[in-house]
Amino acid sequence: MNWFKQLSSRRRLYDDLSEEIQQHLQEKIEELVASGMPRKEAAAAARREFGNVTLMEEDSRAVWQWPSIETFFTDVRFGARTLRKSLAFTAIAVLTLALGIGANTAIFSLVNGILIVSLPYPKAEHLVSVTGAYPQGALVAMREQMRTMDVAAYAEGHDFNLTGRGEALRLTGTLVSAELFSILGAHPKLGRIFDRGEDIPGQDSYVILSHALWQQRFGSADTIIGRSIELEGVSRQVIGVMPPDFRFPSTKTQIWIPLHNDPRSVFHYWAGDFMPVIGRLRPDATLQQARAEARMFQSQAGALFPWPMPASWNADVSVVPLQNGMVADVRVRLLLLLAAVALVLLIACTNVANLTLSRAATREKEVAIRAAMGAGRQRIMRQLLTESVLLASLGGLLGLLFATEGLSLLKALLPADTPRLMDVRMDWRVLAFTGGLAILTGLLVGLAPALHISRGALTESLKSGGRGAASSVSQRLRSVLVVGEIALAVLLVIAAGLMIRSFWALSHVNPGFRSERILTARITPNESFCGDAARCLAFYRSVLDQVQSFPGVSGAALVNTLPLGGRVSKRSLELEDYVDPSGNTAPLFWLNIVTPGYFRVMGIPLLSGRDFGDSDVSGTPVAVVTAETARRFWPNQSALGKHIRLLDDKSWRTIVGVISDVRAYDLQRNTPNWIDGTAYVPHNPTATLEDRRVPSQMTIAIRTASDDSQIAAMLRDSIASMNHEVPVSEVKTMGAVVTEAVSAPASTTSLFVAFAALALLLGIIGIYGVLSFLVSQRTREIGVRIALGAQRGDVLYLVMKEGARFSFAGIAVGLTGAFLLTRLMSSELYGVSPLDPATYLDVALVMAAVTLLACYVPTRRAMRVDPLVALRYE
Amino acid sequence: MKRPEQRDLFPGALEMMILRTLKRHPLHGYALVQHIKRSSKDLLQIEEGSLYPALQRLLKEELVKAEWGISSTNRRVRTYRLTAAGAKHLEHEVSRFEKMLEGITRVLARGES
Repeated sequence: MNWFKQLSSRRRLYDDLSEEIQQHLQEKIEELVASGMPRKEAAAAARREFGNVTLMEEDSRAVWQWPSIETFFTDVRFGARTLRKSLAFTAIAVLTLALGIGANTAIFSLVNGILIVSLPYPKAEHLVSVTGAYPQGALVAMREQMRTMDVAAYAEGHDFNLTGRGEALRLTGTLVSAELFSILGAHPKLGRIFDRGEDIPGQDSYVILSHALWQQRFGSADTIIGRSIELEGVSRQVIGVMPPDFRFPSTKTQIWIPLHNDPRSVFHYWAGDFMPVIGRLRPDATLQQARAEARMFQSQAGALFPWPMPASWNADVSVVPLQNGMVADVRVRLLLLLAAVALVLLIACTNVANLTLSRAATREKEVAIRAAMGAGRQRIMRQLLTESVLLASLGGLLGLLFATEGLSLLKALLPADTPRLMDVRMDWRVLAFTGGLAILTGLLVGLAPALHISRGALTESLKSGGRGAASSVSQRLRSVLVVGEIALAVLLVIAAGLMIRSFWALSHVNPGFRSERILTARITPNESFCGDAARCLAFYRSVLDQVQSFPGVSGAALVNTLPLGGRVSKRSLELEDYVDPSGNTAPLFWLNIVTPGYFRVMGIPLLSGRDFGDSDVSGTPVAVVTAETARRFWPNQSALGKHIRLLDDKSWRTIVGVISDVRAYDLQRNTPNWIDGTAYVPHNPTATLEDRRVPSQMTIAIRTASDDSQIAAMLRDSIASMNHEVPVSEVKTMGAVVTEAVSAPASTTSLFVAFAALALLLGIIGIYGVLSFLVSQRTREIGVRIALGAQRGDVLYLVMKEGARFSFAGIAVGLTGAFLLTRLMSSELYGVSPLDPATYLDVALVMAAVTLLACYVPTRRAMRVDPLVALRYE
Repeated sequence: MKRPEQRDLFPGALEMMILRTLKRHPLHGYALVQHIKRSSKDLLQIEEGSLYPALQRLLKEELVKAEWGISSTNRRVRTYRLTAAGAKHLEHEVSRFEKMLEGITRVLARGES
């Protein structure tokens, strides 16, 4: 029989059935009456013989039904009615679950968008990333030799001046090998992408614009294609505009410019940018083969260089899917957040389960009646579970709403350079996750109460009218739940405590400079302008002179790389009489080029020797090193008077001063681990960078008591009047620079704190609820005790003892859990051990205090019990 | 508190008895259950109501069909009659049951000796 026909004729079937059963009963009654039984008795006898009429009818109907679905809908309707009847309970439970599910959905959206959703490129599964960084020369060799994949490289952090037509603008550019776009499979919105070979000198004067730049600066005009623009004083033809959702390697990139692969400029070719390399696997190649080939290439790559390369260079090279490569930094952080938020949900579940259990006590009677009417245990359990799943689904819906809000908040809170943050949105995966989570949550919340209630001693509860039947089983279950809840809260609060301590340590790190009252700005003449060292230096000189004359400015200095500014200036240095253990005569230094007065302006303490003076600009070559560098290369002796030389420079420099260490790379490290030391040299024609030129990009640091925006405006004006082709960019206070350096840990910490606060709140509500229930259950007992002469203090002791038991057990379990689990977050901690005893102790004390406080309210109610009132209710 | 589960002896037994009874002549529900009770000499404790789910199952599998009519006592009744498929099914079930019974009997007999 076909299903649709069944459905349409079902009403008739049911009507037939009802009538048939009624007729059956009537016939029986008639027969019994005929045999001489009084009608009333006959009716009862007929029913007795027949059995449970409703159940039989239901069972008969069930034959025609698609059973689970139909009872499911019945259960849902019934559940909805039940929930509507106890609005307060429903509201609290739904809200609690919505918070839990919402937080999880928001964090999962991040995990999904960043770690799970595949990159927005065709056949993204074939895209790989070669771990390790290679200069142009190695890239070109790799491009020729690799058989398993096509490779491309890119170098971020190259800024370009855009001049001509309006105010000079500093653009963030990414240098790319010509194949990058085609390897990604990216298509331009307008024009074309780079062709093979367009990264060779003479064929590379092209540029591709980002969509945003095209809109803002070029008014979205299609005519831009084929036109030339001035970048760093060089004319480049615009050949393409990328679509708005193309953000490789990051959102910051405004222009893409071909690499300038010129083997003749040996230094640049072999030691310029060490670039990340991406690749696309060829159709028949596997990741393993690519990995093997990359290792093979690496083993020979060192020999390609015009100088010996340390054996450790890229020694652990591998090939990983591009997605993993791009998000490696945030993976741990995201997963930690997901774990934290999952704990919050668990606590929310526990809370609602407890709430349901309290209600179970009052519902036992209802369930008993339904069981008496013939409902099986499974049937009752299914009904109760449907109800809790319904509850959780409501929570899920509301949670989705919270999550939408939360997600926009998260996007604002997380550091803007979080990879793929812009790609994060709520897609079907997120919806499926939320749906699944809601159902799971509902089952979790409902399971304990359902099991308990359906097992309850029903006849007992019928007899006692629903009182006193809250058996010890229920009480034990509730105790376990509340202990678990406190334990989870303790775990989360400890995690948050560790994050706070770590963040505190990080933000109280002595960076080695004073960040107050310093305004910084990047001043960048065209590279060609600085090709003439004298002209370049004269320009900067006059900038400094003008700035120093601004009102309220007590000092100003220039530096090529500002501490925590995100740039590293590397330069190989020779040290007199020094050969390192591996035979390397020219360790890699971080070379800072500064104008005299820099240390004073930045408040960097001089430990020994002297500061640079104006005489050093032209006199005998000098240098200053940091304490760490002095210790490393001249242990147990003074570095003063020692000699160092920039590689290829003619004259040795004398070390005239040692300054204290500066956290220049980030707040945890002075320098990246591939840098051997830090040196400062005065800004003059001999102070050259790796390209043997004086730096064309300097940052000015201005110590001022005046209004920052006023000084910034004056700076722009005076530079524009000197040379209108020089943009001023990155205008920010040193304080802002430091804040940006801690933005990632700051956001993680604040999220952890928010989750921990939520957990704590839910935990407090939990223990409060359980104890209140306990007190209400024991009102009579307490009344009797008071009537028999118990003092308030005895009652206090009695109730608080219960509360303290929950609290201490929960704290003990939570501490153990934290002891076992916090090591997972050690990579995110700075300056604090995951087993930091102070944090554990503090959290334990705080949790004890808070939970006992939560116990106090119900305790007071117990102390106020009036024995007369309590006993009258018996 | 347990749901009263006085089902037939084993799954399908009630259905088999219904089919067997209907094979002789069509009957309505009440008459059917009275007949079964009488024939078993009240040895089988059958709740009268349990007949109806069984009848619905048979209806659904089209082993019986039902028609409304007026009984001899002038009552509106639904009379069930065996279909061809029902007859065949009955035959099959009875032979299966007999085999089973024989098996059980043999085992029980051996256990006694």
